[in-house]
Amino acid sequence: MPVGFLPLTEKTSAASETSSGKIFAANRATGRIALTVNAVDGVSRRGRVHEHGSLRVRFPNGPILEAVTVNSAGGVTGGDRFDFDISVGEGASLTMTTAAAEKVYRSLGPDTDISLTLAIGAGGTMRWLPQETILFDQARLSRRVEADIAAGGRLLLTEAVVFGRSAMGETVTQGKLVDRWRIRREGRLVFAETLRLDGAMSDQLAEPAIAGGGVALATVLMVPGEEAAVAAVRDLEDKFAGEVGISAWNGIAVARLCATDGARLRHDLMLVLSAVDGHALPRLWLN
Amino acid sequence: MAGKPRGSAPLDAAGLHRLMAWLSPSYPVGAFSYSSGIEWAVEAGDIKDVATLTRWIATVFGHGAGFCDAVFFVHAHRATQQGDAAALRELCHLAAAFVPSKERHLETMAQGRAFLDTTSKAWPCAALDLLGGEPAAYPVVVAVACAGHGMPLAPSLQGILHAVAANMISAGVRLVPLGQTDGQRALAAMEPLIVAVSDRAIASTLDDLGSATFRADIASMRHETQYTRLFRS
Repeated sequence: MPVGFLPLTEKTSAASETSSGKIFAANRATGRIALTVNAVDGVSRRGRVHEHGSLRVRFPNGPILEAVTVNSAGGVTGGDRFDFDISVGEGASLTMTTAAAEKVYRSLGPDTDISLTLAIGAGGTMRWLPQETILFDQARLSRRVEADIAAGGRLLLTEAVVFGRSAMGETVTQGKLVDRWRIRREGRLVFAETLRLDGAMSDQLAEPAIAGGGVALATVLMVPGEEAAVAAVRDLEDKFAGEVGISAWNGIAVARLCATDGARLRHDLMLVLSAVDGHALPRLWLN
Repeated sequence: MAGKPRGSAPLDAAGLHRLMAWLSPSYPVGAFSYSSGIEWAVEAGDIKDVATLTRWIATVFGHGAGFCDAVFFVHAHRATQQGDAAALRELCHLAAAFVPSKERHLETMAQGRAFLDTTSKAWPCAALDLLGGEPAAYPVVVAVACAGHGMPLAPSLQGILHAVAANMISAGVRLVPLGQTDGQRALAAMEPLIVAVSDRAIASTLDDLGSATFRADIASMRHETQYTRLFRS
Protein backbone atom coordinates (compact mmCIF):
# COMPACT_ATOMS: atom_id res chain seq x y z
CA MET A 1 0.00 0.00 0.00
CA PRO A 2 1.44 3.40 -0.87
CA VAL A 3 2.26 4.92 2.48
CA GLY A 4 1.74 8.44 1.16
CA PHE A 5 -2.02 7.89 0.94
CA LEU A 6 -2.40 7.03 4.62
CA PRO A 7 -3.52 9.72 7.01
CA LEU A 8 -0.51 10.52 9.11
CA THR A 9 -1.97 9.83 12.52
CA GLU A 10 0.25 8.39 15.20
CA LYS A 11 -1.63 5.10 15.17
CA THR A 12 -1.40 4.38 11.45
CA SER A 13 2.22 5.42 11.17
CA ALA A 14 3.11 3.08 14.05
CA ALA A 15 1.17 0.26 12.39
CA SER A 16 2.84 0.83 9.05
CA GLU A 17 6.26 0.89 10.71
CA THR A 18 5.59 -2.53 12.22
CA SER A 19 4.43 -4.03 8.97
CA SER A 20 7.18 -2.38 6.94
CA GLY A 21 9.64 -3.69 9.55
CA LYS A 22 8.43 -7.21 8.84
CA ILE A 23 8.56 -6.71 5.10
CA PHE A 24 12.04 -5.26 5.51
CA ALA A 25 13.22 -8.27 7.54
CA ALA A 26 11.71 -10.70 5.05
CA ASN A 27 13.56 -9.03 2.21
CA ARG A 28 16.99 -9.08 3.81
CA ALA A 29 19.49 -11.36 2.18
CA THR A 30 21.34 -14.10 3.98
CA GLY A 31 24.09 -16.23 2.64
CA ARG A 32 26.50 -18.81 3.86
CA ILE A 33 29.41 -20.67 2.39
CA ALA A 34 30.99 -23.55 4.27
CA LEU A 35 33.93 -25.07 2.49
CA THR A 36 36.58 -27.61 3.36
CA VAL A 37 39.72 -28.25 1.37
CA ASN A 38 41.97 -31.26 1.86
CA ALA A 39 45.28 -32.38 0.47
CA VAL A 40 44.90 -35.67 -1.37
CA ASP A 41 48.20 -37.20 -2.57
CA GLY A 42 49.75 -33.77 -2.31
CA VAL A 43 47.04 -32.08 -4.36
CA SER A 44 44.55 -29.70 -2.75
CA ARG A 45 40.96 -30.72 -3.46
CA ARG A 46 37.67 -29.36 -2.30
CA GLY A 47 35.81 -31.53 0.18
CA ARG A 48 32.47 -30.40 1.57
CA VAL A 49 30.94 -27.43 -0.23
CA HIS A 50 27.85 -25.91 1.31
CA GLU A 51 26.10 -22.93 -0.27
CA HIS A 52 23.10 -21.21 1.18
CA GLY A 53 21.08 -18.16 0.22
CA SER A 54 22.56 -15.70 -2.20
CA LEU A 55 26.17 -16.86 -1.84
CA ARG A 56 27.75 -19.21 -4.35
CA VAL A 57 31.27 -20.46 -4.76
CA ARG A 58 32.99 -21.36 -8.02
CA PHE A 59 36.29 -23.13 -8.63
CA PRO A 60 37.96 -21.92 -11.83
CA ASN A 61 40.42 -24.40 -13.33
CA GLY A 62 44.01 -23.47 -12.79
CA PRO A 63 47.37 -24.55 -11.47
CA ILE A 64 46.39 -23.93 -7.82
CA LEU A 65 43.05 -24.35 -6.11
CA GLU A 66 41.13 -21.10 -6.20
CA ALA A 67 37.64 -20.47 -4.92
CA VAL A 68 35.64 -17.48 -6.09
CA THR A 69 32.59 -16.36 -4.18
CA VAL A 70 29.67 -14.79 -5.97
CA ASN A 71 26.91 -12.86 -4.26
CA SER A 72 23.85 -13.25 -6.48
CA ALA A 73 22.08 -10.53 -4.46
CA GLY A 74 24.33 -8.02 -6.27
CA GLY A 75 25.46 -6.06 -3.22
CA VAL A 76 24.53 -5.98 0.42
CA THR A 77 22.58 -3.65 2.63
CA GLY A 78 21.44 -3.17 6.22
CA GLY A 79 20.10 -6.34 7.83
CA ASP A 80 21.87 -8.68 5.42
CA ARG A 81 23.92 -11.44 6.97
CA PHE A 82 26.69 -13.41 5.31
CA ASP A 83 28.86 -16.14 6.80
CA PHE A 84 31.96 -17.78 5.44
CA ASP A 85 33.26 -20.86 7.19
CA ILE A 86 36.42 -22.12 5.53
CA SER A 87 38.60 -24.99 6.63
CA VAL A 88 41.92 -25.82 5.00
CA GLY A 89 43.21 -29.25 6.01
CA GLU A 90 46.70 -30.39 6.83
CA GLY A 91 49.10 -29.51 4.04
CA ALA A 92 46.31 -28.21 1.79
CA SER A 93 46.23 -24.85 0.08
CA LEU A 94 43.42 -22.54 -0.98
CA THR A 95 43.18 -19.06 -2.43
CA MET A 96 39.83 -17.32 -2.14
CA THR A 97 38.59 -14.16 -3.74
CA THR A 98 35.34 -12.54 -4.82
CA ALA A 99 34.01 -12.32 -8.36
CA ALA A 100 33.58 -8.57 -7.99
CA ALA A 101 34.00 -5.73 -5.56
CA GLU A 102 31.29 -6.07 -2.92
CA LYS A 103 29.05 -3.03 -2.66
CA VAL A 104 27.54 -2.14 0.68
CA TYR A 105 24.56 0.13 0.13
CA ARG A 106 22.88 2.66 2.38
CA SER A 107 21.21 1.11 5.41
CA LEU A 108 17.92 2.29 6.88
CA GLY A 109 19.21 1.38 10.33
CA PRO A 110 20.53 -2.14 10.90
CA ASP A 111 24.08 -3.25 10.18
CA THR A 112 25.16 -5.60 7.47
CA ASP A 113 26.82 -8.49 9.31
CA ILE A 114 29.59 -10.47 7.66
CA SER A 115 31.48 -13.17 9.47
CA LEU A 116 34.53 -15.05 8.31
CA THR A 117 35.80 -18.10 10.16
CA LEU A 118 39.03 -19.66 8.95
CA ALA A 119 40.61 -22.86 10.22
CA ILE A 120 44.02 -23.68 8.80
CA GLY A 121 45.48 -27.11 9.53
CA ALA A 122 49.12 -27.98 10.12
CA GLY A 123 51.18 -26.92 7.12
CA GLY A 124 48.07 -25.61 5.35
CA THR A 125 47.95 -22.35 3.41
CA MET A 126 45.01 -20.00 3.14
CA ARG A 127 44.94 -16.84 1.09
CA TRP A 128 41.83 -14.74 1.67
CA LEU A 129 42.04 -12.00 -0.92
CA PRO A 130 38.62 -10.56 -1.72
CA GLN A 131 38.33 -7.66 -4.09
CA GLU A 132 37.66 -4.37 -2.39
CA THR A 133 34.52 -3.58 -0.46
CA ILE A 134 32.87 -0.37 -1.63
CA LEU A 135 30.90 1.49 1.01
CA PHE A 136 28.11 3.80 -0.07
CA ASP A 137 26.96 6.79 1.95
CA GLN A 138 25.16 5.67 5.13
CA ALA A 139 26.26 2.08 4.72
CA ARG A 140 26.66 0.18 8.00
CA LEU A 141 29.00 -2.78 7.87
CA SER A 142 30.00 -4.95 10.81
CA ARG A 143 32.49 -7.70 10.02
CA ARG A 144 34.18 -10.33 12.16
CA VAL A 145 37.20 -12.36 11.15
CA GLU A 146 38.30 -15.28 13.31
CA ALA A 147 41.24 -17.37 12.17
CA ASP A 148 42.83 -20.37 13.84
CA ILE A 149 46.14 -21.44 12.40
CA ALA A 150 47.76 -24.74 13.36
CA ALA A 151 51.53 -25.30 13.57
CA GLY A 152 53.24 -24.52 10.29
CA GLY A 153 50.03 -23.12 8.80
CA ARG A 154 50.15 -20.00 6.66
CA LEU A 155 47.65 -17.21 6.26
CA LEU A 156 47.63 -14.25 3.90
CA LEU A 157 44.60 -12.11 4.68
CA THR A 158 43.57 -8.81 3.21
CA GLU A 159 40.58 -6.53 3.34
CA ALA A 160 40.38 -3.37 1.26
CA VAL A 161 37.68 -0.75 1.72
CA VAL A 162 36.84 2.13 -0.58
CA PHE A 163 34.63 4.86 0.84
CA GLY A 164 32.50 5.86 -2.13
CA ARG A 165 33.49 5.66 -5.77
CA SER A 166 35.27 8.98 -6.05
CA ALA A 167 35.54 8.68 -9.85
CA MET A 168 31.74 8.76 -9.90
CA GLY A 169 31.56 11.75 -7.59
CA GLU A 170 30.35 9.71 -4.64
CA THR A 171 31.37 10.52 -1.09
CA VAL A 172 30.57 8.83 2.17
CA THR A 173 29.66 11.47 4.72
CA GLN A 174 28.00 9.21 7.29
CA GLY A 175 28.17 5.53 7.99
CA LYS A 176 29.65 2.78 10.06
CA LEU A 177 32.45 0.33 9.49
CA VAL A 178 33.54 -2.05 12.22
CA ASP A 179 35.96 -4.82 11.29
CA ARG A 180 37.12 -7.11 14.09
CA TRP A 181 40.06 -9.43 13.45
CA ARG A 182 41.13 -12.06 15.95
CA ILE A 183 43.94 -14.30 14.72
CA ARG A 184 45.21 -17.28 16.69
CA ARG A 185 48.27 -19.34 15.98
CA GLU A 186 48.48 -22.70 17.75
CA GLY A 187 45.78 -21.43 20.08
CA ARG A 188 47.58 -18.23 21.00
CA LEU A 189 46.16 -14.84 20.03
CA VAL A 190 48.83 -13.27 17.82
CA PHE A 191 46.95 -10.38 16.28
CA ALA A 192 43.80 -8.55 17.25
CA GLU A 193 42.38 -5.34 15.98
CA THR A 194 39.11 -3.59 15.44
CA LEU A 195 38.89 -1.01 12.72
CA ARG A 196 36.11 1.36 13.71
CA LEU A 197 34.78 4.35 11.81
CA ASP A 198 31.37 5.38 13.01
CA GLY A 199 29.30 8.46 12.39
CA ALA A 200 30.82 11.36 10.48
CA MET A 201 32.85 9.17 8.15
CA SER A 202 34.30 11.83 5.82
CA ASP A 203 35.27 14.08 8.75
CA GLN A 204 37.06 11.17 10.42
CA LEU A 205 38.83 10.14 7.20
CA ALA A 206 40.00 13.74 6.78
CA GLU A 207 41.98 13.59 10.04
CA PRO A 208 45.72 13.43 9.26
CA ALA A 209 46.22 10.58 11.76
CA ILE A 210 43.38 8.55 10.16
CA ALA A 211 43.48 8.84 6.36
CA GLY A 212 44.50 12.46 5.74
CA GLY A 213 41.63 12.80 3.27
CA GLY A 214 42.29 9.41 1.70
CA VAL A 215 39.20 7.35 0.88
CA ALA A 216 40.68 3.91 0.34
CA LEU A 217 42.24 1.74 3.05
CA ALA A 218 43.59 -1.78 3.18
CA THR A 219 45.27 -4.05 5.68
CA VAL A 220 47.31 -7.11 4.79
CA LEU A 221 48.17 -9.68 7.44
CA MET A 222 50.81 -12.37 6.96
CA VAL A 223 51.29 -15.34 9.25
CA PRO A 224 54.10 -16.19 9.45
CA GLY A 225 55.44 -12.70 8.79
CA GLU A 226 58.95 -12.80 7.46
CA GLU A 227 61.52 -10.01 7.41
CA ALA A 228 62.18 -10.87 3.76
CA ALA A 229 58.57 -9.99 2.91
CA VAL A 230 58.89 -6.74 4.83
CA ALA A 231 62.08 -5.86 2.97
CA ALA A 232 60.49 -6.75 -0.39
CA VAL A 233 57.60 -4.35 0.28
CA ARG A 234 59.90 -1.58 1.51
CA ASP A 235 61.94 -1.89 -1.68
CA LEU A 236 58.84 -0.88 -3.65
CA GLU A 237 58.53 2.48 -1.93
CA ASP A 238 59.08 4.54 -5.08
CA LYS A 239 56.42 2.60 -7.00
CA PHE A 240 53.48 3.11 -4.64
CA ALA A 241 50.71 5.50 -5.66
CA GLY A 242 49.55 5.95 -2.08
CA GLU A 243 51.02 5.40 1.36
CA VAL A 244 52.16 1.99 2.53
CA GLY A 245 53.67 0.84 5.81
CA ILE A 246 54.71 -2.65 6.81
CA SER A 247 56.01 -4.14 10.03
CA ALA A 248 56.85 -7.59 11.39
CA TRP A 249 56.90 -8.68 15.01
CA ASN A 250 56.15 -11.80 17.04
CA GLY A 251 56.09 -13.96 13.93
CA ILE A 252 53.47 -11.96 12.04
CA ALA A 253 53.60 -9.08 9.58
CA VAL A 254 51.06 -6.38 8.89
CA ALA A 255 50.87 -3.87 6.06
CA ARG A 256 48.64 -0.80 6.04
CA LEU A 257 47.70 0.98 2.84
CA CYS A 258 46.04 4.37 2.47
CA ALA A 259 45.22 5.95 -0.89
CA THR A 260 43.23 8.79 -2.39
CA ASP A 261 41.06 6.49 -4.50
CA GLY A 262 40.22 2.87 -5.15
CA ALA A 263 42.37 2.54 -8.29
CA ARG A 264 45.51 3.69 -6.48
CA LEU A 265 44.74 1.38 -3.56
CA ARG A 266 44.33 -1.60 -5.87
CA HIS A 267 47.57 -0.74 -7.66
CA ASP A 268 49.46 -0.66 -4.35
CA LEU A 269 47.72 -3.73 -2.96
CA MET A 270 48.66 -5.77 -6.04
CA LEU A 271 52.29 -4.68 -5.63
CA VAL A 272 52.29 -5.64 -1.94
CA LEU A 273 50.63 -9.02 -2.48
CA SER A 274 52.95 -9.90 -5.37
CA ALA A 275 55.99 -8.92 -3.29
CA VAL A 276 55.08 -10.99 -0.25
CA ASP A 277 53.79 -14.09 -2.03
CA GLY A 278 54.51 -14.92 -5.67
CA HIS A 279 51.38 -17.08 -5.86
CA ALA A 280 49.12 -14.60 -4.14
CA LEU A 281 47.25 -12.75 -6.83
CA PRO A 282 44.06 -14.46 -7.93
CA ARG A 283 43.65 -14.29 -11.70
CA LEU A 284 40.43 -12.33 -11.29
CA TRP A 285 42.41 -9.45 -9.85
CA LEU A 286 44.36 -9.21 -13.08
CA ASN A 287 41.33 -8.78 -15.34
CA MET B 1 22.15 5.33 36.15
CA ALA B 2 21.95 8.75 37.76
CA GLY B 3 24.78 10.84 39.12
CA LYS B 4 28.47 10.41 38.56
CA PRO B 5 29.89 7.72 36.29
CA ARG B 6 30.99 4.48 37.85
CA GLY B 7 34.42 4.40 39.44
CA SER B 8 34.42 8.10 40.20
CA ALA B 9 35.15 7.79 43.92
CA PRO B 10 37.80 10.31 44.96
CA LEU B 11 41.45 9.44 45.26
CA ASP B 12 42.76 9.66 48.84
CA ALA B 13 46.08 11.27 49.74
CA ALA B 14 48.08 8.04 49.62
CA GLY B 15 46.50 7.15 46.27
CA LEU B 16 47.39 10.57 44.85
CA HIS B 17 50.98 10.14 46.05
CA ARG B 18 51.28 6.78 44.29
CA LEU B 19 49.57 7.89 41.10
CA MET B 20 51.86 10.92 40.78
CA ALA B 21 54.91 8.74 41.38
CA TRP B 22 53.95 5.97 38.96
CA LEU B 23 52.90 8.29 36.15
CA SER B 24 55.70 10.78 36.59
CA PRO B 25 58.17 11.06 33.67
CA SER B 26 60.84 10.03 36.21
CA TYR B 27 59.26 6.63 36.89
CA PRO B 28 61.77 4.25 35.31
CA VAL B 29 59.74 2.83 32.42
CA GLY B 30 61.66 4.76 29.79
CA ALA B 31 58.57 6.65 28.60
CA PHE B 32 60.75 9.50 27.31
CA SER B 33 62.27 7.17 24.70
CA TYR B 34 58.97 6.44 22.88
CA SER B 35 57.16 8.79 20.49
CA SER B 36 54.35 6.51 19.18
CA GLY B 37 55.33 7.34 15.62
CA ILE B 38 55.33 11.11 16.17
CA GLU B 39 58.99 11.19 15.16
CA TRP B 40 58.04 9.99 11.67
CA ALA B 41 54.98 12.27 11.50
CA VAL B 42 57.28 15.24 12.17
CA GLU B 43 59.81 13.99 9.58
CA ALA B 44 57.01 13.58 7.01
CA GLY B 45 55.62 17.05 7.71
CA ASP B 46 52.28 15.89 9.13
CA ILE B 47 53.19 17.48 12.46
CA LYS B 48 54.84 20.89 12.10
CA ASP B 49 53.40 23.16 14.82
CA VAL B 50 51.35 23.10 17.99
CA ALA B 51 48.04 22.92 16.07
CA THR B 52 48.99 19.89 13.98
CA LEU B 53 50.57 18.18 17.01
CA THR B 54 47.44 18.68 19.11
CA ARG B 55 45.18 17.48 16.30
CA TRP B 56 47.25 14.33 15.71
CA ILE B 57 47.32 13.37 19.39
CA ALA B 58 43.62 14.20 19.83
CA THR B 59 42.81 11.78 17.00
CA VAL B 60 44.95 9.06 18.57
CA PHE B 61 42.97 9.51 21.78
CA GLY B 62 39.55 9.84 20.17
CA HIS B 63 39.93 7.18 17.47
CA GLY B 64 43.04 5.15 18.17
CA ALA B 65 45.40 3.61 20.68
CA GLY B 66 44.58 6.19 23.36
CA PHE B 67 40.97 5.05 23.54
CA CYS B 68 41.84 1.34 23.25
CA ASP B 69 44.41 1.60 26.05
CA ALA B 70 41.75 3.30 28.18
CA VAL B 71 39.38 0.39 27.60
CA PHE B 72 42.10 -2.12 28.51
CA PHE B 73 42.82 -0.11 31.65
CA VAL B 74 39.13 -0.13 32.69
CA HIS B 75 38.76 -3.88 32.22
CA ALA B 76 42.06 -4.72 33.92
CA HIS B 77 41.11 -2.52 36.87
CA ARG B 78 37.76 -4.30 37.23
CA ALA B 79 39.21 -7.80 36.82
CA THR B 80 41.78 -7.00 39.52
CA GLN B 81 39.13 -5.68 41.90
CA GLN B 82 37.22 -8.91 41.36
CA GLY B 83 40.37 -11.01 41.78
CA ASP B 84 39.58 -12.58 38.40
CA ALA B 85 42.95 -13.95 37.28
CA ALA B 86 41.45 -15.74 34.26
CA ALA B 87 39.84 -12.55 32.92
CA LEU B 88 43.10 -10.72 33.52
CA ARG B 89 45.08 -13.32 31.59
CA GLU B 90 42.67 -13.06 28.63
CA LEU B 91 43.03 -9.30 28.77
CA CYS B 92 46.83 -9.58 28.78
CA HIS B 93 46.64 -11.66 25.60
CA LEU B 94 44.20 -9.28 23.92
CA ALA B 95 46.10 -6.09 24.80
CA ALA B 96 49.44 -7.60 23.73
CA ALA B 97 47.94 -8.64 20.37
CA PHE B 98 46.11 -5.35 19.88
CA VAL B 99 48.99 -3.38 18.40
CA PRO B 100 49.55 -2.40 14.76
CA SER B 101 53.34 -2.52 14.53
CA LYS B 102 56.61 -3.80 15.96
CA GLU B 103 57.49 -0.54 17.68
CA ARG B 104 54.03 0.01 19.18
CA HIS B 105 54.36 -3.54 20.53
CA LEU B 106 57.78 -2.76 21.98
CA GLU B 107 56.51 0.51 23.44
CA THR B 108 53.61 -0.95 25.38
CA MET B 109 55.20 -4.29 26.36
CA ALA B 110 58.60 -2.91 27.44
CA GLN B 111 56.96 -0.20 29.52
CA GLY B 112 54.59 -2.76 31.02
CA ARG B 113 57.51 -4.97 32.00
CA ALA B 114 59.51 -2.06 33.46
CA PHE B 115 56.48 -0.78 35.39
CA LEU B 116 55.88 -4.22 36.86
CA ASP B 117 59.54 -4.65 37.85
CA THR B 118 59.78 -1.32 39.66
CA THR B 119 56.32 -1.38 41.24
CA SER B 120 56.76 -4.96 42.53
CA LYS B 121 59.84 -3.76 44.39
CA ALA B 122 58.89 -0.27 45.55
CA TRP B 123 55.09 -0.69 45.99
CA PRO B 124 54.51 -4.46 46.22
CA CYS B 125 50.93 -5.69 46.33
CA ALA B 126 49.28 -9.10 45.98
CA ALA B 127 47.32 -8.00 42.92
CA LEU B 128 50.47 -7.84 40.80
CA ASP B 129 50.80 -11.61 41.30
CA LEU B 130 47.45 -12.05 39.57
CA LEU B 131 49.33 -11.40 36.32
CA GLY B 132 51.12 -14.70 36.92
CA GLY B 133 54.23 -13.61 35.04
CA GLU B 134 52.18 -13.06 31.86
CA PRO B 135 53.75 -10.36 29.68
CA ALA B 136 51.35 -7.45 29.96
CA ALA B 137 50.85 -4.19 28.12
CA TYR B 138 51.55 -0.96 29.98
CA PRO B 139 47.91 0.14 30.63
CA VAL B 140 47.06 -3.34 31.92
CA VAL B 141 49.92 -3.40 34.45
CA VAL B 142 49.24 0.14 35.65
CA ALA B 143 45.54 -0.72 36.11
CA VAL B 144 46.40 -3.83 38.14
CA ALA B 145 48.68 -1.79 40.42
CA CYS B 146 46.05 0.96 40.85
CA ALA B 147 43.27 -1.50 41.66
CA GLY B 148 45.59 -3.54 43.86
CA HIS B 149 46.33 -0.46 45.93
CA GLY B 150 42.64 0.42 46.22
CA MET B 151 42.84 3.42 43.94
CA PRO B 152 39.49 4.12 42.27
CA LEU B 153 39.05 3.67 38.53
CA ALA B 154 38.18 7.10 37.13
CA PRO B 155 40.96 9.22 38.65
CA SER B 156 43.51 6.47 37.96
CA LEU B 157 42.40 6.28 34.33
CA GLN B 158 42.49 10.05 33.91
CA GLY B 159 45.98 9.95 35.39
CA ILE B 160 47.36 7.48 32.88
CA LEU B 161 45.65 9.21 29.95
CA HIS B 162 47.19 12.49 31.06
CA ALA B 163 50.62 10.86 31.35
CA VAL B 164 50.45 9.25 27.91
CA ALA B 165 49.23 12.47 26.28
CA ALA B 166 51.90 14.52 28.07
CA ASN B 167 54.56 12.06 26.90
CA MET B 168 53.45 12.31 23.27
CA ILE B 169 53.36 16.11 23.52
CA SER B 170 56.82 16.12 25.05
CA ALA B 171 58.09 14.09 22.09
CA GLY B 172 56.50 16.61 19.72
CA VAL B 173 57.99 19.56 21.61
CA ARG B 174 61.47 18.08 21.26
CA LEU B 175 61.05 17.03 17.63
CA VAL B 176 59.27 19.92 15.88
CA PRO B 177 60.71 21.71 18.01
CA LEU B 178 58.20 23.77 19.96
CA GLY B 179 58.47 26.07 22.95
CA GLN B 180 57.59 24.72 26.38
CA THR B 181 54.56 27.02 26.59
CA ASP B 182 53.20 25.62 23.34
CA GLY B 183 53.60 22.15 24.83
CA GLN B 184 51.49 23.16 27.80
CA ARG B 185 48.92 24.76 25.46
CA ALA B 186 48.61 21.40 23.72
CA LEU B 187 48.17 19.63 27.06
CA ALA B 188 45.54 22.16 28.15
CA ALA B 189 43.70 21.60 24.88
CA MET B 190 43.65 17.85 25.57
CA GLU B 191 41.86 18.25 28.91
CA PRO B 192 38.20 17.96 27.80
CA LEU B 193 39.06 15.16 25.41
CA ILE B 194 40.80 13.12 28.10
CA VAL B 195 37.75 13.47 30.35
CA ALA B 196 35.50 12.40 27.47
CA VAL B 197 37.69 9.44 26.50
CA SER B 198 37.81 8.33 30.12
CA ASP B 199 34.00 8.47 30.45
CA ARG B 200 33.55 6.63 27.17
CA ALA B 201 36.04 3.92 28.10
CA ILE B 202 34.37 3.35 31.48
CA ALA B 203 31.10 2.68 29.65
CA SER B 204 32.70 0.43 27.00
CA THR B 205 32.81 -3.34 26.67
CA LEU B 206 35.74 -5.06 24.98
CA ASP B 207 33.50 -5.34 21.92
CA ASP B 208 33.49 -1.54 21.74
CA LEU B 209 37.27 -1.41 21.18
CA GLY B 210 38.17 0.23 17.93
CA SER B 211 40.77 2.26 16.14
CA ALA B 212 40.91 4.02 12.80
CA THR B 213 44.31 5.71 12.89
CA PHE B 214 45.74 4.19 9.71
CA ARG B 215 48.21 6.99 9.06
CA ALA B 216 49.42 6.98 12.67
CA ASP B 217 49.98 3.22 12.25
CA ILE B 218 51.84 3.80 8.99
CA ALA B 219 53.94 6.48 10.72
CA SER B 220 54.90 3.97 13.41
CA MET B 221 55.82 1.39 10.74
CA ARG B 222 57.86 3.83 8.70
CA HIS B 223 59.68 5.01 11.78
CA GLU B 224 61.42 1.63 11.83
CA THR B 225 63.59 2.68 8.90
CA GLN B 226 63.82 6.40 9.65
CA TYR B 227 67.41 7.46 8.99
CA THR B 228 68.04 9.65 12.03
CA ARG B 229 66.03 8.82 15.11
CA LEU B 230 66.00 9.94 18.72
CA PHE B 231 63.14 7.66 19.80
CA ARG B 232 62.56 3.92 19.98
CA SER B 233 59.06 4.27 18.47
